[in-house]
Amino acid sequence: MSAETGSATAGSGGAASSSVNPESVRAIAKKDFQDSVRSWLFWGLSAFFFALLVIVTGVLSYFGEDIAAQGATTGMLVLFVSQITKLVVPLIALVLGWKSIAGERESGSIKILLSLPNSRKDVLLGKLLGRSAVLSLSLTVGFGLAAIVVAALLGGFDVVDYAGLLVMSIVYGVAYTSIAVALSSLTRSTTMAGAAMAGIFVMFYGVWNGLEGAFRLLAQREFLFFDTVTYTATVQGQEFEAERLQDWVYFVLNLDPGQAYTNGLTLLTDVDALENQATINAQMFGGEFPIFLQDWFSFLILLFWIAVPMVVALYQFDRVDI
Amino acid sequence: MPAITVDNLTKSFGQTLALDDLSFQVEEGEVFGFLGPNGAGKSTTINIVLDFARPTAGEVTVLGMDAQQHSRDIRRRTGVLPEGVETYDRLTARQHLEFAIESKNATDEPEALLERVGLVDAIDKKAGGYSKGMSQRLMLAMALVGEPDLLILDEPSTGLDPNGAREMRDIVREENERGATVFFSSHIMEQVEAVCDRVGILRDGEMVAVDSVEGLRDSVEGGTTLRVTVDRIDDDALQAVRSLPDVGSATVEDGTPPTLIVDVDGSKTAVLSTLEDRGIEVQDFSTSEASLDDVFRSYTTETEVHAR
Repeated sequence: MSAETGSATAGSGGAASSSVNPESVRAIAKKDFQDSVRSWLFWGLSAFFFALLVIVTGVLSYFGEDIAAQGATTGMLVLFVSQITKLVVPLIALVLGWKSIAGERESGSIKILLSLPNSRKDVLLGKLLGRSAVLSLSLTVGFGLAAIVVAALLGGFDVVDYAGLLVMSIVYGVAYTSIAVALSSLTRSTTMAGAAMAGIFVMFYGVWNGLEGAFRLLAQREFLFFDTVTYTATVQGQEFEAERLQDWVYFVLNLDPGQAYTNGLTLLTDVDALENQATINAQMFGGEFPIFLQDWFSFLILLFWIAVPMVVALYQFDRVDI
Repeated sequence: MPAITVDNLTKSFGQTLALDDLSFQVEEGEVFGFLGPNGAGKSTTINIVLDFARPTAGEVTVLGMDAQQHSRDIRRRTGVLPEGVETYDRLTARQHLEFAIESKNATDEPEALLERVGLVDAIDKKAGGYSKGMSQRLMLAMALVGEPDLLILDEPSTGLDPNGAREMRDIVREENERGATVFFSSHIMEQVEAVCDRVGILRDGEMVAVDSVEGLRDSVEGGTTLRVTVDRIDDDALQAVRSLPDVGSATVEDGTPPTLIVDVDGSKTAVLSTLEDRGIEVQDFSTSEASLDDVFRSYTTETEVHAR
């Protein structure tokens, strides 16, 4: 380092301040992991999550004999657990990511990161990686411990389905971590960041869930461009006509990461119960789902939620005063 | 080549002008004291040097590179002790240093660095339990990682007891002898005069003086301030005092009775006799040696009075 005699080292790399250096990203991710994995809040949430899993398993094993007779124990487990994780994973991710940048700006410790040869982009990516790693650890430990309990109580389960649930939950969690870290970098104070986290939660669990009803009402009144589409369905050999919403409405509804999570699970796991839950079926679309309603598309939606908040944050965070 | 060149730098936050057309240079190999009261714009300047904040106008060059375009390259060769920063509560001193060493791609040993700043005993304790002085020592150790060509220390004595402040100054000297340029900000003159080759005094976002410690002392008061209480004063007598060869300046502090304040660099009796020659009765007089603190105060407070 000091061997550099420092005359004309300029010239190397145009806008160095906004470049990404994998080594720096790794160093920040490592430090961030070490830091947040020791957080009391994190372990509290993980314990809470694990307790939920065990309670579900316990209840399941209590009624387990009936279900086991139908050979669908793991299926029921995945179904119940996924409904819990659909709600709990975003909570853990938002709480973990909430202060990731805003907190460091408030305490000034971000200057420690940025005094070293790390770019602001390195900081954002490192934070995303570090917090995602912590979240993945929490989920893996929780699922792993629960698996032991499940195996003991139920006497065995389908490992592939269960692993599918874990992988999907991690991808889902990373999407929410990306949203959390990005929002944290766009605000100056942890108070504002906290409000943003609450806003995101309300948006996807309040607003988005109410959207279908709202769209249906608008469509029935043919308000502006809202309308319904008539399709022919066959139920028990009888054909009848029914109405559904326009294609794009289903696209909007499916943008919810939680919805994408559930849809993705049907692909990764082999659980019939999940499919039966679905409120839409291929008949509504003349026998085949449009691309954006096919199960694999939900991975793209989750990728979208990982990438887009980060891209916005990477652009914006380079342009502000710390 | 200067280590830091600040050129017509202006920074405003909304309506507030934090830096007003600031220009100065820090030469390679020197210890430069960046002095000014709190709120003068020292941290804003350092923030721009390190690309934490962007200038409204003007340019900053560090180690020959543009502060914004080549910030990462600059920070590879710079050690920084930022001001008003909390360390990571849940990480130990060793983990802090490992992070800095890894980020800088350096080969230092955490033990050796902590030995230098006197914190090696707490190496595996979490920083959350550190006192303010211990945190400051840890951050100084982090700044030393990778033998930087430039050290930027923002209020490094914060939280240090007099002994700690002295040890910190020793480290500054050692680093300077190794060949590092040191840029050292403080709001206390005393801490700067002992180690700095040159001092720049910042007030309200403007550099009001840049000189060596000796030069500053000479420039302001030629050494001694004479306060003479008289029964009355007139312009004629005042002019006569001012025209004395040893007198730098003479001002009147109104009051009953009025007081004459004279900067004198030699014979005090000449002043007194000049007054008496003009029939003015000297009721009392006192002298005081100008300390560097007076110099600092005269630049940062009295100038303000004159300006109004």
